[in-house]
Amino acid sequence: MQFTQKIKNETEDILILALESSCDETAASVNLNGTEVLSNVVSSQVKLHQKFGGVVPEIASRKHLELILPVIDQALVEAGVEFSDLDAVAATYGPGLVGGLLVGLTAAKTIALALKIPLIGVNHIAGHIYANFIANPDIEKPLICLTVSGGHTDLLYFASRRGYKILGSTQDDAAGEAFDKISRFMGLGYPGGPAIEKAAQSGDPSAVDFPRADLGDSFNFSFSGLKTAVMNYINNQQQKGNLVNKADLAASFQAAVIDSLSSNLMAAVKKYNAKSIVLSGGVAANQQLRKSISKQTTELGLKLYYPPLDLCTDNAAMIGAVAYYQYLEKDFAELSLSADPALKL
Amino acid sequence: MLTLAIDTATEVLGLALLNQQQLVIEHNLHLPRQHSEKLLPLIESMFELTEFEVADLSGIGVTVGPGSFTGLRIGITTVKLLARIFKIPVKGVSSLELLAAAVEGEYLLPLFDARRKRVYTALYQRQLGKVAERQQAISASNNLIFNSRKAIIKPAGIEITKLPEILADYRQFKLTLLGEPKIAVKEVLTAAGFRVEFANLENDFPRAAVLARLAAQYLAMDQSDDIYQLKPAYLKQPQAEINWQQKYGKKTDLAGGN
Repeated sequence: MQFTQKIKNETEDILILALESSCDETAASVNLNGTEVLSNVVSSQVKLHQKFGGVVPEIASRKHLELILPVIDQALVEAGVEFSDLDAVAATYGPGLVGGLLVGLTAAKTIALALKIPLIGVNHIAGHIYANFIANPDIEKPLICLTVSGGHTDLLYFASRRGYKILGSTQDDAAGEAFDKISRFMGLGYPGGPAIEKAAQSGDPSAVDFPRADLGDSFNFSFSGLKTAVMNYINNQQQKGNLVNKADLAASFQAAVIDSLSSNLMAAVKKYNAKSIVLSGGVAANQQLRKSISKQTTELGLKLYYPPLDLCTDNAAMIGAVAYYQYLEKDFAELSLSADPALKL
Repeated sequence: MLTLAIDTATEVLGLALLNQQQLVIEHNLHLPRQHSEKLLPLIESMFELTEFEVADLSGIGVTVGPGSFTGLRIGITTVKLLARIFKIPVKGVSSLELLAAAVEGEYLLPLFDARRKRVYTALYQRQLGKVAERQQAISASNNLIFNSRKAIIKPAGIEITKLPEILADYRQFKLTLLGEPKIAVKEVLTAAGFRVEFANLENDFPRAAVLARLAAQYLAMDQSDDIYQLKPAYLKQPQAEINWQQKYGKKTDLAGGN
């Protein structure tokens, strides 16, 4: 692709329009130099989907198409900029619902073509991590980030904000997925994270000693063995005619997951001499996980960061923050970029 | 007057550029499930191959279906942004009208398979103007027949067996079928006493150049669409909405339903 202007470097001001449409929020933002958010417009469809008990992809896609132009207009107006001021355009290209992703991504591709500016494809998970840099611009590096949700479990190392190295990932289930499966098996409902956490409140975490996966020197995770152990335990107890104490069981399972997550995290923190720790993703909302890690980081005199609530939900500002660092690396996408609903970090 | 046409309604990705009456470039590419990857690079390459810039565009035509919702949304999103950035008018054209626009015959019945023995269809009647107008409209450069037509039955999803009833007023005329599934539709109509012919196979597919001409004509008559309202002609509510209404029986404000 031929660009009209030369690509800027980090000493110059860089203005990026970012779009996000991976689930049920249509969002656009204008970011100056990554973390300075000039506008952050989010139009939520949550109410439309409520009566169905979950996001309906076709309804979400229809709504994204309807909202994309007004949301972009508002982001430009609130930031006080015109299309012609933009240095680049970014969009989430995965993971998420393909129909929604395609609306935001196609809009971004068209803007890139029309204005002859770089197109930047951003990973939604990276967006949630970079949300922390918007809220805490002076976060100290190097840092280790544990990002955990129903779809992924990754441990990342940041020497600077310009890029990360994946130290470890789950070899089977994501941690959030394990919570969901065990919650369903125990009849506690969906989503599993909050359901297990609630049931565990009155339980004894040392009641059942479930195994913690030992993957040697790697920083990888595994939760399928734990999942099987919990299911076997329940089946065995039922066969013996014993009543299962759900609170104890939930607490013991939760303790095993938290142990696996925090032991890898703390080992990485020591190995890389990290100054800060960042927790991100849905599972990072688990209070026991936060408490456990918080205790260990305070002992080491390190700083722990959680995503702020207003940047926890989907938004475009976090996509624009990632896009800025990709711009500096000239990590530009071709116009042939398509949505990847199962994109990994 | 430089008109861009974009058709992403079907498995054929259609793109054309029309300068005044001159067709500059046209693609009709059978590329199932590749519209997202191919549309923008192809638009870029069309401008690279020709002497025009995207900023030279003065109007855009886009198909609004019936067709693949995902495909339509890719095309319509592209058109919305191009129109917004370059402040140019847009015309959304029915995929049924696009099919009908390229063939001879006075009563035209374009068809789209809606599955489960249903079709999306409309009945178009050619509007016969003065001979001179017609001759002017037949472009010598590319043999495209261009003339105006009116939807005397508006686009809708219909069970094939109900077609004789819906078309009852037109039993005395010869109907020209195009699109698919024309054999199944012909059987039902001939059994009910209709006179039916098939369109010439060479013209029986959506062509981007025809879309460009249609759009240019509509835009010349100031019949443009509001880009903020532009959306696919869904002709069907989302399945989740249909299921919900069957279960709870209540009418509800719809998420973009049509």
